[in-house]
Amino acid sequence: MIIDINFIGLIIASIMASAVPLILASCGELITERSGVLNLGVEGMMIIGAISGFALMTVTGSLIIAIFGAMLAGVLISTIFAFLTQTLITNHVATGLALTIFGIGISAMIGKNFVGIPGKEFPILFEGLKDTIPLLGPILFGHSIVFYFAFALPFITSYFLKKTKIGLIVRAVGDSPESASNQGINVRLVRYACILYGGAMSGLAGAYLSMIYTPQWIENMTGGRGWIALALVVFSTWNPIKILIGAMIFGGLTIIQFHMQAIGVRIPVQFLTALPYIVTIIVLVVISRDSRKIRLSTPSSLGKSFHKDN
Amino acid sequence: MNTNLKISNVTKIYPGCVANDNVSLEFNSGKIYALLGENGAGKSTLVKILSGVIIPDEGKIYLNENNLKLNSPLDAKKNDIGMVFQHFNLFETLSVFENLIIDSDEQRESVREKIDAIMKKYNFSIDLDIPVLNLSAGQKQKVEIIRCLIRSPKVLIMDEPTSVLTEQETSELFLSLKKFSEEGILIIYITHKLKEVMQLCDEVAVMRRGKLVSVSQIKNENIESLANKMVGQNLKNIKKKKAKISSDQLIKVTNLNFTSEDPFETNLVNINFSVNRGECFGIAGISGNGQSELFQVLSGEIISEKSSIEFNNNYIGDLSPQERREYLMAFSPEDRLEQAAIPQMKIFENVALNNFKSSNFFNNGLINENKIKEHSKKIISDFNVNTDNIELKSQFLSGGNLQKLIIGRELITSPDLLICFNPTWGLDVGAINYIHETLIKINEQNKSIILISTDTDELLKLSDKISVIHKGKLSKIMNADEVTSEKLGILMGGAN
Repeated sequence: MIIDINFIGLIIASIMASAVPLILASCGELITERSGVLNLGVEGMMIIGAISGFALMTVTGSLIIAIFGAMLAGVLISTIFAFLTQTLITNHVATGLALTIFGIGISAMIGKNFVGIPGKEFPILFEGLKDTIPLLGPILFGHSIVFYFAFALPFITSYFLKKTKIGLIVRAVGDSPESASNQGINVRLVRYACILYGGAMSGLAGAYLSMIYTPQWIENMTGGRGWIALALVVFSTWNPIKILIGAMIFGGLTIIQFHMQAIGVRIPVQFLTALPYIVTIIVLVVISRDSRKIRLSTPSSLGKSFHKDN
Repeated sequence: MNTNLKISNVTKIYPGCVANDNVSLEFNSGKIYALLGENGAGKSTLVKILSGVIIPDEGKIYLNENNLKLNSPLDAKKNDIGMVFQHFNLFETLSVFENLIIDSDEQRESVREKIDAIMKKYNFSIDLDIPVLNLSAGQKQKVEIIRCLIRSPKVLIMDEPTSVLTEQETSELFLSLKKFSEEGILIIYITHKLKEVMQLCDEVAVMRRGKLVSVSQIKNENIESLANKMVGQNLKNIKKKKAKISSDQLIKVTNLNFTSEDPFETNLVNINFSVNRGECFGIAGISGNGQSELFQVLSGEIISEKSSIEFNNNYIGDLSPQERREYLMAFSPEDRLEQAAIPQMKIFENVALNNFKSSNFFNNGLINENKIKEHSKKIISDFNVNTDNIELKSQFLSGGNLQKLIIGRELITSPDLLICFNPTWGLDVGAINYIHETLIKINEQNKSIILISTDTDELLKLSDKISVIHKGKLSKIMNADEVTSEKLGILMGGAN
């Protein structure tokens, strides 16, 4: 059997496309967690982003309004989380879970009127260059702006955390909010900002799903990707580059197992469906097993409420 | 230029406690001032007010005649007041350099030059690019000091700085502080250690229960006079009577080895000793030389060869702490709030925790709350724990009270052997005295003690036999009356 080299390129491109929402949501959540906040509401914020993006696109017809509106919706819903956990000092885990349940419910309610409506075509960039280079052409060219942004994001995030002053402050707050506060850093403000940023990225991830990846609204269409994104953050040991690797493995296995099912490989379907989850976690555990590095990159105050007493 | 810092009528009231009661003090640069007091005397509150962490209810602070508004730590920094806290304010997972630049607005390169200059001037040597968690306590403190010096402060406040330092690090710190003082930085030194005040300071202010008790020149004071001012009563001078030690052997440790997989732990090499009934065996050493590993091996947190520990003619090396307790051993670990007690649990719950079998605290798997509470009340009154509320969460007890509670709890079973690790670490004079008295009483009842401690004075006071641990090896065992603190110091440094 001769496999067309461009066909391989297309498969790789489709793997990358399926990794996009995971990268976006994980990188957002990574910043949130690096500041010491555990937001388990990623799935909820993503689905809110998905319905907001799709609804705004349908109603206004503007893709730009839709994309930014989805991010804003993510910000708004994460503001609820931030207010509860930072101002009212509620438990991060319980609040995050509630946020997810709330997100799924409200998106289904709003989404009722949008079921079955076809989406719009999202503009893709460099389409003409697709055929100029074999193999690499379909991988590099002909994608949406969000796609390119997603693949730049892990590197931007890594640079931000390591090289910038604000990144340093975020890490400091996650390491020891008490010390940070005694150094005159406004811990609550930093954490608010990180939570809201995480919300924006989850919203964008959701919008990518409903506007670009599968341009339509289906109830519960995030299908657990928010949870995978959360797992990626932890198993990558809060390292954006490893998130990229993890998301690619997960996306890759998801696509490949589809193809395997289609070809009719004699492996139980349940096992194939479970495969991406298992392999991704195993690989990330193996590449992150240096206990000293884990200790260094785990935000020490993760999930703990900080209450400044006076 | 002269710096003058004035605290004027400062009052801070917490529910149920007046932390600072109308305190007025004046400091001038060129001198080192001691702020002396027991735990809970209000000295930490006062310095937190000076560093902007706590806002006073009343009173004013003047620096060179200017009224300072200190509403946040940032305000204190802006007004050239630097503070090194007792519990370090460092970010463990960030590198030393990142810790130092976090509150600076300057370029990285220029800060780096500044840091290098400071380190050169005061002879500090710290690798700037490793994470803080790899540093020793003494190095961490230096990082804190550098962080203050970068801002060329007029006032430097040190809150209980030596509680985590070895003796050598302490003398290094004193040298640096004297240098800073000569350079015109006003130094306020908070402590409850009298010896240090006598060694280092020029003037001393004593606080007790939130009030300023006295301000005086060091040259007019001595250790006894300061101790009495601090405690507010005349302290008993405790001395151990030289008892006749029985030749009845209680515990024998033979060829005990422990090899750790964790590079931050110390391996124990061929440990041999024995303790007779009624005897106190002291183990001295600079912290981090295997004391915590030895304690864990003896208490059963780390399991060793069955035959390496013989207790009351039984081999117990492979038993868990719970099983060892049934053989009448008891343990008081170093870290009171993490290892000995559970901070979020109530006093009486903590009392119940380590006596599952040998007590009547539990009936058929149910908790007999009344019995436990009764017993907790007995411990509280017998051991002078300063609270009457056994429902109080343990984290709200002061160190001294918590230690008394733990020792009281451990003595429930009237154990044959009590193993203590730094039992008076960080406690005030009154509490230390009480713990020492209790330990002496245990020996008088013909029970034995293994005392692992970094406090040489304590060891010399309480032990019958002493050995020094260095890099996981025990020195030869000496009779306590043949040993001096100088000799111990030499052995602690690793010489033979």
